[in-house]
Amino acid sequence: MMKKKSAILLSLGIIFGLLVAGCAPSTPTPGKDSLVVAMGGNPVTLDPHGSNDQASSRVHRQIYETLIYQTEGLDLVPALATSWTQIDDLTFEFKLKAGVTFHNGEPLTASDVKFTLERALASAFIGHIVGPLDKESITVVDDLTIRLATTRPFAPLLTHLAHPAMAILNEKAVTEGGEDYGTNPVGTGPFKFVSWDFDEKVTLERFDDYHATKALLREIVFRIIPDNTVRTIELETGGADIIFDIQPADVSRVDADPTLTLVRDANLSVTYIGFNVEKAPFNDVRVRQAINLAIDMEAVVNTVYAGVGSPAKGPLGPNVFGANMDLEGWDRDVDAAKALLADAGYADGFTTTLWTNDNLQRVQIAEIVQNQLAAVGITVEIVEVEWSKYLADTAAGLHDMFILGWTTVTADADYGLFALFHSSAKGTPGNRTFYANARVDELLDLGRTTTDQAARLAAYKEAQEIIRDEAPWVFTWTGENISGTHSSVRGFLQHPAGHHRLDKVSFSE
Amino acid sequence: MVKYIFRRILLVIPVMIGVSFLVFTMIHFTPGDPVITILGETASQESIDQLREELGLNDPFLVQYFNYVKNIVVDQDLGRSYVTNRPVTNEIVSKFPNTLRLALLGVLVSISIGIPLGIISAVKQYTWVDNIAMFFALIGVSMPIFWQGILLIILFSVTFRILPSSGFNTWQQMILPALTLGTGSAAIVARMTRSSMLEVYRQDYIRTARSKGLGEFTVVVRHALRNTLIPVVTIVGLQFGFLLGGAIVTETIFSIPGVGRLMVDAIRQRDMLIVQGGVLMIAFTFSIINLFVDIMYAFLDPKIRAQYK
Repeated sequence: MMKKKSAILLSLGIIFGLLVAGCAPSTPTPGKDSLVVAMGGNPVTLDPHGSNDQASSRVHRQIYETLIYQTEGLDLVPALATSWTQIDDLTFEFKLKAGVTFHNGEPLTASDVKFTLERALASAFIGHIVGPLDKESITVVDDLTIRLATTRPFAPLLTHLAHPAMAILNEKAVTEGGEDYGTNPVGTGPFKFVSWDFDEKVTLERFDDYHATKALLREIVFRIIPDNTVRTIELETGGADIIFDIQPADVSRVDADPTLTLVRDANLSVTYIGFNVEKAPFNDVRVRQAINLAIDMEAVVNTVYAGVGSPAKGPLGPNVFGANMDLEGWDRDVDAAKALLADAGYADGFTTTLWTNDNLQRVQIAEIVQNQLAAVGITVEIVEVEWSKYLADTAAGLHDMFILGWTTVTADADYGLFALFHSSAKGTPGNRTFYANARVDELLDLGRTTTDQAARLAAYKEAQEIIRDEAPWVFTWTGENISGTHSSVRGFLQHPAGHHRLDKVSFSE
Repeated sequence: MVKYIFRRILLVIPVMIGVSFLVFTMIHFTPGDPVITILGETASQESIDQLREELGLNDPFLVQYFNYVKNIVVDQDLGRSYVTNRPVTNEIVSKFPNTLRLALLGVLVSISIGIPLGIISAVKQYTWVDNIAMFFALIGVSMPIFWQGILLIILFSVTFRILPSSGFNTWQQMILPALTLGTGSAAIVARMTRSSMLEVYRQDYIRTARSKGLGEFTVVVRHALRNTLIPVVTIVGLQFGFLLGGAIVTETIFSIPGVGRLMVDAIRQRDMLIVQGGVLMIAFTFSIINLFVDIMYAFLDPKIRAQYK
């Protein structure tokens, strides 16, 4: 009997020992030449044509390069293309930099660029970013020269070519990688891919044959830490040197800590409350304007975001090309709101629903708005919808009011307005208010096709004024990228689009 | 006994078939569209049509299911994730050891704390020992996991700086998640052990053992414990199976790449084949655990052993 008992204890002990032994080495401790970056999102694939998510783009930024680079100040500068000339209305010719090698040793040639662009056009995930490109027109002139044309004049073409999804790929590596290329990426960037423990971390290493100034650090480890609080704790305890996406609630703590540095810059995102303008009572512009007048957005944003970001003044953030910063605001005026509602036949108010997904801040916005609208007799029922159903049902127009966001990744007004307000973009392409205005369509079409900068600005200015007046949206919030670093980190600059390059980062002595 | 075990293992196959069909149907008819979800806030009709075609989602429901089963039977291929395009088998196989480790550690913590606590409570029923133990049990079962997890992190990682706050590779990283997961279960195990022990303790054969002159410890451990453990083993088995489904909250708080997070993300994104693969794995493991629990009964109780001929 005793033997049996000790046998059980022994086996339990062995099981326990086996469980904890034979484990992989711990995550690297932050050293002088290895940078640990913690983010909440999980990279989907390291094939830039396989997904458009933020977490993947953040890794792509280090491994890959585009023909043109959009700097942190949103200027377009040469990257893999040293120069470009516009040959006619539709055609551009790009000269590639000589002596660039991929991480696998292959030289960069124009045929790689042709291969990349053709593959991008065929991708369901990012094809829309180079949609206007004419596939037949992509021509290799010589090893370092390539010509391409769009099907119609497309003014923001160059900013679109700077999008991370336009990373130039090596034809050989992609063909050999096949279906698994996404886990074995090869680029021309300052860091090359080493390993990927899915859902846990991605490890990159300095590429010593980089064609420009080599990266300052030897290694980058991206750690995936989904919980916001724990991610901030990792920064405090030294488990990470840089963390992305600090939440409003943690900002003051990081700011107050002398061993840490808070980095905050306006980003390209906008949050909005939208109306389904094809459904009563929101098909009446007076009702939409009345609701704009009834909401005090300043109060909402201050409460929900605690000083992070700002109330939105229009559909575009302040750093987007073409943003009309002179739009007249809808200052809260409850009496004017009630008058407009009475005018529209709703003197006694009405009942409606406000949809949101399970994003914490959006739910809080909904609650405050519900409260504010009650003052003008509008009873709002908040409906929290699961994300997948949310996207599908708002695209199908089943909603009344809804809260959603948008990021103008290219920092150009075309990307921030066309998909949201053009009548051809109703439903899944992005126009979930089902808004349609012939003049706005005309202006957005003009902005997209004319290369005259002044004409573009004028068109977008007027379009935004009409949008403000017709109020398919309640402009809500423009965001900030908030990261935190250890105070010894130098050279970390945020890009407004959210994917920050890390090759200039180093540690001070 | 061997025949019994063999029969039970064969029965796993119809269980898996039934479960896979049920889950396939449920996901298919759940509102929300995988393609729109994957493509996000901006998706042209062309890209939607294209992706739907690429993923084989235009085929009728039964054709999709048939192709799925065919791939498993003929190629042992569970398909590829709609979102990442990585093989489902690799995803699950790479994450399952973490979840298994977490579940086993959680169970170990729960029985190391729960069983002794339950025994002592029962033996010292109605004394202050019993009251304190059951009070802790109540706290353990009432504390939400995310709250307990963050509390432990703040205490041990931030204030005392002796344990790491995330990851799951070194033994130091495993302590806090195991504690978080195990203490809730420990409470349940303790209560179960206590009530089971109380029943057994009143039996005549225990009085006989005591009157034979045996010490209390021997009476409890050698004579009472075996019978006490039968319902406890059931509970522990159920807990273990439940934990293997993925301790999603613990995995999120401690950044553990496990099956729980995988499944919840996959359901959210309607990544059907990952959900299917994960459910199959859970159904299989749960069946094996049930079998193991039944074998434990045979080990503990000769009356049950006799039924397994």
